[in-house]
Amino acid sequence: MSDVVIQTTNLSKELTSSLLRRKVRILSGLDLSVTRGETFGLIGPNGAGKTTSIKLMLGLMRPTEGKAQILGMPAGDKRALAKLGYLPENPYFYSHLTGREFLDFAGQLFGIESKQRRERAGELIKTVGLSEAADMQMRKYSKGMLQRLGIAQSLINNPELVFWDEPMSGLDPIGRRDVRQILLSLKEKGTTIFFNSHLLPDVNEVCDRVGVMFKGRMVVQEKVKNISGEGNYKDLEDFFLEVIAKAEADNGAAAATGTQSKEAVS
Amino acid sequence: MSESGRNNSVEAVIAIALNTFRETVRDRIIYALILFAAIVTVLGIILGSLSVGQDIRILKDIGLAAISLIGGIIAVFAGTNLVYKELERRTIYIIFTKPVSGWQFVLGKYIGLCLCVLVMVAAMGAFLSIIVAAVGSGFAGASFFDQLREITQELSLIYLELLFVTALATFFSTFSTPVMSVLFTLAIWLAGHLGESLLELGKLSQNPFLAQCLSLVFYSLPDFAGLTRIRGHLLYGTVPGTEVLTYLITYVLAYVLMLLVLAAIVTERKEFT
Repeated sequence: MSDVVIQTTNLSKELTSSLLRRKVRILSGLDLSVTRGETFGLIGPNGAGKTTSIKLMLGLMRPTEGKAQILGMPAGDKRALAKLGYLPENPYFYSHLTGREFLDFAGQLFGIESKQRRERAGELIKTVGLSEAADMQMRKYSKGMLQRLGIAQSLINNPELVFWDEPMSGLDPIGRRDVRQILLSLKEKGTTIFFNSHLLPDVNEVCDRVGVMFKGRMVVQEKVKNISGEGNYKDLEDFFLEVIAKAEADNGAAAATGTQSKEAVS
Repeated sequence: MSESGRNNSVEAVIAIALNTFRETVRDRIIYALILFAAIVTVLGIILGSLSVGQDIRILKDIGLAAISLIGGIIAVFAGTNLVYKELERRTIYIIFTKPVSGWQFVLGKYIGLCLCVLVMVAAMGAFLSIIVAAVGSGFAGASFFDQLREITQELSLIYLELLFVTALATFFSTFSTPVMSVLFTLAIWLAGHLGESLLELGKLSQNPFLAQCLSLVFYSLPDFAGLTRIRGHLLYGTVPGTEVLTYLITYVLAYVLMLLVLAAIVTERKEFT
């Protein structure tokens, strides 16, 4: 079996604005490969294309150009989806269900047997610290509780690969610590983890490699140990800010060159 | 497809159907609508008492009309929100990042809503039967069972029509906003009831081209008028033959299947931005 579990080649996406029918490129030429057991963190400012990248890898969106392969299968393939878990950004679930009912529902969508589902849901409820709220309707859940439940549902099928979009969002420091623990235990089990986050200390602690995105482009990919351990940077934040400053400068220069060449043509 | 693959497919449809059913029956607006149907049915007693010897018929007519209307409102409003709510709340991301196909999603949603409409129609029908028995000859004897049989036959036809309306609403909800979906569904529902008038209009116009166009529109629209006609016969104690019933059921199921296949195709091609 191939060791590469996520492979994207020139993955690009354009959206058409509904009013002016103008095309906007929100992701450009993403080339990425993540190997089995690796923890990859995607970081970047808001609107950099992180969530779009995940949606393209999961088949929720179709690329305008390029392709994505997950576990050796095209993005969105049902056989690949059966082996992965996904936590969306700011998750919102069915408010009429209790946490336990929702986990059961998620398990049913994977075709997991009833007894196994109940056991797994019970384990996960404990893992994410929702034992007391498990039988409460989700309409009464706080943002942090929904986030914890979202993490639990992403693990119901014991996935080989997880995609987590901002897993620490909405969590208090204890919640963040718990999620870090879950990430580390998944890592220990050999699960491949791909996640987006703005919280650089957490990324620094759990990731093997990071990718920095800026305005729909992957600007740099680097091993974490080369950044904050043996590297020239104080920490990941220092690295991130420098990369973004350089990307902004390059972007400004490219825009200026574009204007100049347009002027030259006219 | 392997046995386990088939089981997984069925399991996902059942999960989505039960979730939709639970979500719809936990909506309090539905109970307000059912209360309204009950009040209208009780008002039927007063209207019936004004007639000479037709009190039970009037009570049944009003009660069944209320069930048909309220069942239709539930089907249209819940149906047109089916997919939109999932998109708006982004719960659809949870479903389509699991091994679930567009057809499983659409079928599960449709079955869940049909189950809810069935429970509501049955509950309103039970209430009507109790009122009819209380006003009429009581709960025992041949007369009560005749009334019960007639009400059940009528309710079956009402439910058949609601299966149709639910499929229409489900189809429109896959690509349109709830407001537009309600308008489209109501327009087709109404046009389906007035379809035969289009043929008449074509004949009256004496323009062969217009007549052909109108007859094309008539044949593309669902024929709700046929269902209403048979319900009319039932009210006067004429039970339609097996051939007519078989035709009706096949017609409705074929139309429902076509709408669900189209809805599944639209969902499968959808992007979740």
